Amino acid sequence: MAMRDITLGQYYPADSAVHRLDPRVKILLLIGLIVAIFMARNLVAFIPVVLFLILATVLSQVPVRLMIKGIKPLRFILVLTFLLNLFFLPGETPLWDVGFAVIKKEALLTAILYSFRLVLLVMGSSLLTLTTPPIVLTDGLERLLSPLKVIHFPAHEMAMMMSIALRFIPTLLEEADKIMKAQTARGADFESGNLLKRARAMVPLLVPLFVSAFRRAGDLAMAMEARCYHGGEGRTRLRVLRISDGDVAACVLMAALIFCVVACNSLHLY
Amino acid sequence: MQITLDHVTHTYQPGSPFQSTALEDVSLTIRPGEFLALIGHTGSGKSTLAQHINGLLQPTSGRVLMDGQDIHEKGFDKKVVRRSVGLVFQYPEHQLFEETVARDVAFGPRNLGLPADEIDGRVREALKKVGLTQAGIEEKSPFELSGGQMRRVAIAGVLAMRPDMLVLDEPAAGLDPQSREDMLQLIAQLHAQGATIVMISHSMDDVARFATRAVVMEHGRITMEGTPEEIFRHAERLESMGLDVPSVCRLGIQLRQMGVNCPDSVFREEQAVQALLDLWKEGKPHGHA
Amino acid sequence: MADAIIQVDHVSFSYEEDAATAVRDVSLTVPRGEFHAILGQNGSGKSTLAKLINGLYLPTEGKVTVCGMDTQGEKDTWEIRRRAGMVFQNPDNQLVATVVEDDVAFGLENIGVPSQDMPARIEKALRDVGMEAFAGRAPHTLSGGQKQRVAIAGVLAMEPDAIIFDESTAMLDPRGRREVMDAVQRLNREQGITVLWITHFMEEAVAADRVHVMHDGQIVMSGTPREVFSDAERLAAYRLDVPPMARIAQALRQKGMPIADGVLTVSDMAKEVARLCK
Repeated sequence: MAMRDITLGQYYPADSAVHRLDPRVKILLLIGLIVAIFMARNLVAFIPVVLFLILATVLSQVPVRLMIKGIKPLRFILVLTFLLNLFFLPGETPLWDVGFAVIKKEALLTAILYSFRLVLLVMGSSLLTLTTPPIVLTDGLERLLSPLKVIHFPAHEMAMMMSIALRFIPTLLEEADKIMKAQTARGADFESGNLLKRARAMVPLLVPLFVSAFRRAGDLAMAMEARCYHGGEGRTRLRVLRISDGDVAACVLMAALIFCVVACNSLHLY
Repeated sequence: MQITLDHVTHTYQPGSPFQSTALEDVSLTIRPGEFLALIGHTGSGKSTLAQHINGLLQPTSGRVLMDGQDIHEKGFDKKVVRRSVGLVFQYPEHQLFEETVARDVAFGPRNLGLPADEIDGRVREALKKVGLTQAGIEEKSPFELSGGQMRRVAIAGVLAMRPDMLVLDEPAAGLDPQSREDMLQLIAQLHAQGATIVMISHSMDDVARFATRAVVMEHGRITMEGTPEEIFRHAERLESMGLDVPSVCRLGIQLRQMGVNCPDSVFREEQAVQALLDLWKEGKPHGHA
Repeated sequence: MADAIIQVDHVSFSYEEDAATAVRDVSLTVPRGEFHAILGQNGSGKSTLAKLINGLYLPTEGKVTVCGMDTQGEKDTWEIRRRAGMVFQNPDNQLVATVVEDDVAFGLENIGVPSQDMPARIEKALRDVGMEAFAGRAPHTLSGGQKQRVAIAGVLAMEPDAIIFDESTAMLDPRGRREVMDAVQRLNREQGITVLWITHFMEEAVAADRVHVMHDGQIVMSGTPREVFSDAERLAAYRLDVPPMARIAQALRQKGMPIADGVLTVSDMAKEVARLCK
């Protein structure tokens, strides 16, 4: 049971042009990228998207190995969606009769398109988390969403919750590991039996974990109050966010990307 | 029952960038009936060692033997070790989960598959052993009890499995002086009743008072081993490892530095009182008259 | 009493659901720059008293003033908490941020310190507790003693007059306890920060200017460490311990050896024995 092995907040520390971008800009860039990915309707339209991602990865100094690692957990979903699309999408040009179904050219192309979209989406988001420390990311998110405070959207509270969750995940994982060991020492069995039996075996783990989480939450609330925390009002921040030339350049590049995708779409190619 | 660690090495997350060796070539035999203290800093490998004793962790290399049999060998039932070696983690009250004290203490025996009346008997016995005898306490929620009482419930939960050996990771941590003393007396009493005790402790005064043997660990290795008397005779060496020594030892060292002939075998309070009285009587001009 | 940083005047407080940890008619004055220790077993009310001083709880009777401000007055709450900061028991449950320097910044952000002033204050606070090398680390990778020192830095950065420590060493190993104790004593000595140190470890109270013993919600003994620890019998009645050397001195006196009063530490005892045996 190596729950502590899970590496969280997979930030890759480096001082690259991408790392230095304003987190707000990076979040917007990711949204732009997602839009571009979904707008691309044929394989040629993906060329500018791929080029953009390659450029971003090279600039970020993040090893390609880490980017690929991000896709690994998705491989089953990838294969599954690919096969489902392949077999069940309608099409006119039969390519290959596999017995129980006929694979059609249009279905094959769409299946490739969808899988491609998924891979690019994951790579784009990994690039954001790999180049932005979680704390900066929540900061950026809070400030992007802060205009919504006018309509009483709790932007500050949401960011604070995210940041506290990130802070306590390793602590609670460690605790879960310890409780699991303690119950195992009392003869508990978490590994064998059917689904129902296993679910019931989790009770001795989950109850103490919840009790501990509530105790920690109470302690933390007290400590935050003692340190003068009283919500987002009148708060200043350690990190000052400033839009630099690099940020402007990145936004221009993104606009160019979307334009290219639209242009490629209109070419009616594959 | 005897547990032997034979050249045990344990590496966490081998092959990953977080790889760390917590135990390196540790050999140790825990003898039946002894009170063994494990001493060392946080991170010296004591807790990792403790988790090898009942097979919770498997050595990366080396063997753990129970009465000569390798417990990680195929076909060896780990439940036998888990039943014979009770492991009490640090802050064990954090593992309580049942609605009532009795049900929580019964968790271990239930996992052993014992019949209901046998379980009831064991629960009563274990609660009595830890001194929780107030009427109606079995039916209380463990979460209503005081910190010291909760810890007793957790220990009762381990005792209910009737282990021959009890491994305790800092059983007195975080308790106030009186609860601390009660806890140590409880452990001493269990030892007197025949249980083998392995206790991880940061308090050298406690080690001096209760242990029959002590093992000092540093960086995953055993660096000193012997009776408390042998260990504390090398108080300077313990101090050079950044470990505490019993305050009585510190007194002895200071006195010897000041030219007072205090014997270096003194490490318990009552010994100190006697030794100082002897010194004083010798020193008094009319003492020999 | 212009120079009393903390003044507790006939204060009572009780929880509705938990009468055991109440505080009853407690009075206490901590002058500027002093180091006071409060001793007591669990449930003696010592933690409740700490929270009353910081304005986390408000007295049901009596008055608590911090630097002349009444905790009852809502307008001063944040100023009181800034000037009398607090460090708690569990090192894991009081750090908020995922990076050390951001955690130290947390209090500064709350009280609206301008962004450009923060880095210098954070750096100084971390340096004062010897944690400057860990500014970029994640709290869960630190030892207990290091986490507590980060918590102290978080309070220090707010430039407080006093710091209240609510059993801040109870969950640490001896090395961690020493680290924290050393840091706090240095702050008290070198920067004149007033300290209220709540603990159940006798040896931590030995170096205090004054010791107050709490039992059953009341302060039952007050005095210098020597005065308080010389009364081993009374301490035992409050379910407290005495330092080992005081205990040995007591036993020796009973056997007729004329050990002087007020022996608390190993060096006190060594000097005394050397005097008598040479």
